[in-house]
Amino acid sequence: MTRLFDHYNPQSERFFDEVIARDGAQRSHYEIMMQRFNQFSSADIRARRELVNIFFRNQGITFTVYGVDEGIERIFPFDLIPRIIPASEWAVIERGLIQRITALNEFLTDIYHKQQILRDKVVPAELVLGSKHFRREFIGVRPPLGIYIHVTGSDLIRDAEGRYLVLEDNLRTPSGVSYMLQNRIAMKRAFPVLFDRYTVRPVENYPQQLLRTLQEISPTPKSNPKVVVLTPGVYNSAYFEHSFLAQQMGVQLTEGRDLVVNNNKVYTRTTRGLQIVDVIYRRVDDEFIDPLVFRPDSVLGVAGLINAYRKGNVTLANAIGTGVADDKVIYSFVPDIIRYYLNEEPILDNVETWLASNPKHMKHILENLDKLVVKAANESGGYGMLVGPESTPEQREAFAEKIVENPRNYIAQPTISLSRHPSFFNDTELAPCHIDLRPYVLHGKSISIVPGGLTRVALKRGSLVVNSSQGGGSKDTWVIDN
Amino acid sequence: MLSRVAESLFWMSRYFERAENTARFLDVNFNLLLDLNSITSVDHPNYWKPLIMVMADPEHYNSLYQEYDAHSVTDYLVFNRQNSSSILSSISMARENARSIIESISSEMWEQLNNLYHFLQSVSPQQVHSDPYSFYKEIKNASHLFQGITDNTFSHNEGWAFVQIGKYLERADNAARLIDVKYHMLTPRTARHSDLVSGSVDIIQWMAVLKSCSALEAFRKVYLSKIDPDNILSFLILDRSFPRSITFSICAAQEALWRISGSSQHRYANNVDRLIGKMEAEMSYTTVEEILQQGVRPFLEEIEQGLAKIGEQLHLLYFAYHTPKIEPADVAEALPFTGLDGRRANWSQSQQQQQ
Repeated sequence: MTRLFDHYNPQSERFFDEVIARDGAQRSHYEIMMQRFNQFSSADIRARRELVNIFFRNQGITFTVYGVDEGIERIFPFDLIPRIIPASEWAVIERGLIQRITALNEFLTDIYHKQQILRDKVVPAELVLGSKHFRREFIGVRPPLGIYIHVTGSDLIRDAEGRYLVLEDNLRTPSGVSYMLQNRIAMKRAFPVLFDRYTVRPVENYPQQLLRTLQEISPTPKSNPKVVVLTPGVYNSAYFEHSFLAQQMGVQLTEGRDLVVNNNKVYTRTTRGLQIVDVIYRRVDDEFIDPLVFRPDSVLGVAGLINAYRKGNVTLANAIGTGVADDKVIYSFVPDIIRYYLNEEPILDNVETWLASNPKHMKHILENLDKLVVKAANESGGYGMLVGPESTPEQREAFAEKIVENPRNYIAQPTISLSRHPSFFNDTELAPCHIDLRPYVLHGKSISIVPGGLTRVALKRGSLVVNSSQGGGSKDTWVIDN
Repeated sequence: MLSRVAESLFWMSRYFERAENTARFLDVNFNLLLDLNSITSVDHPNYWKPLIMVMADPEHYNSLYQEYDAHSVTDYLVFNRQNSSSILSSISMARENARSIIESISSEMWEQLNNLYHFLQSVSPQQVHSDPYSFYKEIKNASHLFQGITDNTFSHNEGWAFVQIGKYLERADNAARLIDVKYHMLTPRTARHSDLVSGSVDIIQWMAVLKSCSALEAFRKVYLSKIDPDNILSFLILDRSFPRSITFSICAAQEALWRISGSSQHRYANNVDRLIGKMEAEMSYTTVEEILQQGVRPFLEEIEQGLAKIGEQLHLLYFAYHTPKIEPADVAEALPFTGLDGRRANWSQSQQQQQ
């Protein structure tokens, strides 16, 4: 009988393989896992896959794809082979992310108050003040404990040498944490035997940690501050996650119409009258959150919410205006931001980035469009990007025009070498698929990172795009003690 | 409890009950025709038109179909999405309401509702025509199962009370409509009601009315085989122990309302409790003779209007928690969810991209 890993051959100079080293040796932390999987027949694998599929379907774990009529619900594909991160590597990631979040929080405090970093010309003022996500309405407003970014989901990748790099800081309303939690449950159901042999650090208490973080930032100290989750509603693609987190934390899931502001205080409308709200974990973007201040056509928001927030009667997590710091242009300055505020060298590096707004960089971008990945500065979810090597000359030409027209809005990066990990193409065959990693960082009185995170995997052969909206799937992610 | 969650529970329950009642009407009509087909054609409009009059808007029907025959009426009442109270529309809306409060209901409730929805999606009109009995039975059973699941997996607190209110208000309203139309059809304007007993066709029809409420057996236990319109009216309107009679439904709704507000027999806490208490007293102390004297039609219309008023007051009191001074300028936009399909919000909710 051929064993599952017998035909797994990741040979490539360009990409780091998570399981097999370049000299063909197995990486030690994967050995037991590979042995176990080699013992499974394809019938075993099929049976377990079926088990997992039923689990996800019954849980209703689906997401919605935009751009298709009616918004079709799909199950988020789950790959059975877990991704394993040894504690030593994790320690670096953890320190690196804590450093990065601390610096970014300093940066937000600065640009919404004294703007010293702009005066010192470390970051060009026009890039900050001209960012689509810079909220001048919040200059001078200090959020409780001085924290802007309470929940972060940074995207990390590994280069050809296996170094972890930060690809994106998602500082607004990062999603996906529910998949991290569900993947772990699914994995435990399907492969309980694997958990015997590894000491996998638990992720299950994330909802409790999130609730604790949210209660810590209550505007007034209370024994039991009232926290609610604010969702755009049932048609939002991440609605499942919003309702799941509310349910797991045991708090109310609210929509804009459930909240009302009176005398600068926020209340829920209940069958027993109005009840005061202290903290809102909002999954509604800035632009939609208060029709009186931002988009007047938004029906998702709460009229008057921003004033209540400015008065310090309610805390929003994350704060308004954090998007300026995860702008893809500002991203390229984060290493400088870390040095500026913390006097430290960055522990996690950035991916090399060219800014179209810089004339020298612009020239490089336009000359190398077929080799680069070009991204719009303010889009997310894999929308509005050009993957050079996979594009046609017509697409490149059209993109070049857009870049020249609005240089501030574009950045370019080399076609990054996402590391690869064995994943199932079908029940019997493994192939090296590109993966990234999204750990979730919580920032209350202290910063904590749930050990693991969401590993997204590009299940289309050769594809580098891991977003769920673009055919990606996910894996359970284990941090193990060495 | 959030007003929106209460409202969605209420409408989820109400739409499900509506679907069950529609299935009952149609089921009985098919059965009735089997009894009558020696006398008249199955497609005779007299047998199908009343269904549209009970459960839908005849004008809307006429704009879509030419004839009142078995095929068209079934299609309109079961499958047509343009008919907001067709079985498919009702179950879709019950499901949409449930989906929006999925974290508040039990997963078993959601699963059951979702199963029925997917079942309905998979059924073709052809299947319903070839075997109406099995199809309607499936719907009725699904509804009973849902109610059983709700009773046994969902905490009996405020939310559960809203489920009960939705169910019983809808049931009382449907019963009133059914009796109203059947009575109207079966009572020639010139004849005195005692003349009716003679026609065997009429008796079969009245039995059908009883059957559609699953009431024939229960009725026989009370009135033996004296199937005459007065007894039937008395049973379907005034019986206090049969769970599909109007009085029973009103009492049950009242009990659920009391659970929420803490009102009791002698004291009402709000306008909804006052209205339902008044109605309950009316039903308790009236007799079938008095109903006949007043006229069945006016009496039932009063009930229907009373139920509508209770619904309105319920909305104002619990769902649209009203604070006029602090509402955004266009309250109409901001407030009502009214348990519908929420199409208004659809566009902007999906506008947001995910990070």
